[in-house]
Amino acid sequence: MSVMAALNSAPLYLICGGIIGFVAIICVVFIVRAYKAGLAMGMDRVILKRVVTSSATFSVLPAVGILLGVIALSGSLGIPWPWLRLSVIGALHYETQVAQAAAEHVGIGGLNPEAMTLSAFSTIALLMSLCIMWGMLLSVLFNKGYLKKIGIKSPSENETKLNKKSGFGDLAMSAMFIGLVSAYIGSYIGTFVSSNGLFTFTGDWLPLAVVFVSGLVMALFVYLSEKKKKLWVDNFSVAASMLIGMSSAVVLSLI
Amino acid sequence: MNRNEYFEKYNNKTHGLGRIFSVVTLILLLGAPFLIGAILGAMPDLGAVARGFLSVGLIWTVSSVVEFLIYTPMLGAGGSYLAFITGNLINMKIPCAVNARDIAGVKSGTPENEIISTLSIATSSLVTILVLALGVLLLQPLKGVLQSPVLQPAFANVVPALFGAMAYKYFRGNMKIAVAPLLLMSLLFILVPSLTGSTSMMIIPSGALAIGIAYLLYRKQK
Repeated sequence: MSVMAALNSAPLYLICGGIIGFVAIICVVFIVRAYKAGLAMGMDRVILKRVVTSSATFSVLPAVGILLGVIALSGSLGIPWPWLRLSVIGALHYETQVAQAAAEHVGIGGLNPEAMTLSAFSTIALLMSLCIMWGMLLSVLFNKGYLKKIGIKSPSENETKLNKKSGFGDLAMSAMFIGLVSAYIGSYIGTFVSSNGLFTFTGDWLPLAVVFVSGLVMALFVYLSEKKKKLWVDNFSVAASMLIGMSSAVVLSLI
Repeated sequence: MNRNEYFEKYNNKTHGLGRIFSVVTLILLLGAPFLIGAILGAMPDLGAVARGFLSVGLIWTVSSVVEFLIYTPMLGAGGSYLAFITGNLINMKIPCAVNARDIAGVKSGTPENEIISTLSIATSSLVTILVLALGVLLLQPLKGVLQSPVLQPAFANVVPALFGAMAYKYFRGNMKIAVAPLLLMSLLFILVPSLTGSTSMMIIPSGALAIGIAYLLYRKQK
């Protein structure tokens, strides 16, 4: 059985589907509890129903965007694992970066379907799970105490506290991602310029071209969203930019 | 039982359930790679996992702490347990909860917000799960096409495709922060091309430089 056939085999669908099914049950439990509690606390039934229907319709388009992410990752990790990762905890940008880092450390160079091995896959899968578990762990340990400590007296007071906390935090997060993206783009430039000898400019240029194309498509989406007020494109911008960038790799490699 | 007592009881049970569900999900997610490894006859390489965690995992740990501190009060107990289990916070759960809050006309930090936020995030998560399950089902006939050799350059370039999109998103408006790390990293990889095999380790100096510049700009603005 080939690596990709193993990664798309029935046991993997069963394991991943089982975990997703468990999380679906959690969601149902929380919906039923919150709905009943809302009614018991005298909240308007019509408003509660509106919240459910509006949240459902609100989520359909972003969910399709997330599905595109499953397709993007399926070529190197098979379908079941990206399906699980993007259904539970994950987010496309996180999953791709961690999978790439793990692939480097297992010695297959990167998320390359041709170089993927079963051992590399199980290592990548574990690192993906490990790196993103902290939000859940912090919730288990500190959610109750933190909410109690914040001691919300009034909503406006709460907003002020949050704004103070997120001051440099937001900028630091953006800076961290800028550092991360810079390292990878720098590596594509280095590969192209010097991988066959210093300043020979004969290395693999395809990753750099893909960066350029997907960045260009992202710019178009940002233009449509900000200037043309087509806010719905935000639901697809990252995933669609990726898919178009990836498609350009197919076209460019045929030339 | 009055309204406050009822909410207190509801809230305590939410924390209990949230903790149990989170722990079970954690165990399932961390156990799955080992189970898959056992079935496929290829267990995870724990040394590589440790090295990978040191390079990229630390960034996501900091990111998770920041997300926890900011979003937990915004979403309330039930909403935040669910959001951290189901993920996709910034691109879906947060806007969805804020939208629901506006529709219901409730303020954050109130019992009503706790109910609305939980309903909204649970519904959103369930819809995502259903859409993805349906999509995966529809993908089955396309499996052969997805594995065709012609498409392999696309899947080999999934990471550059992500970083192209992310670069535009993060660099615009932050060019003062981005120029130095981008130039430094490009120069480094040009002069030492063998570093490309461990790019994820270079995230640490690159990220530190970007954060340092961001801090200086932040101090200058204040």
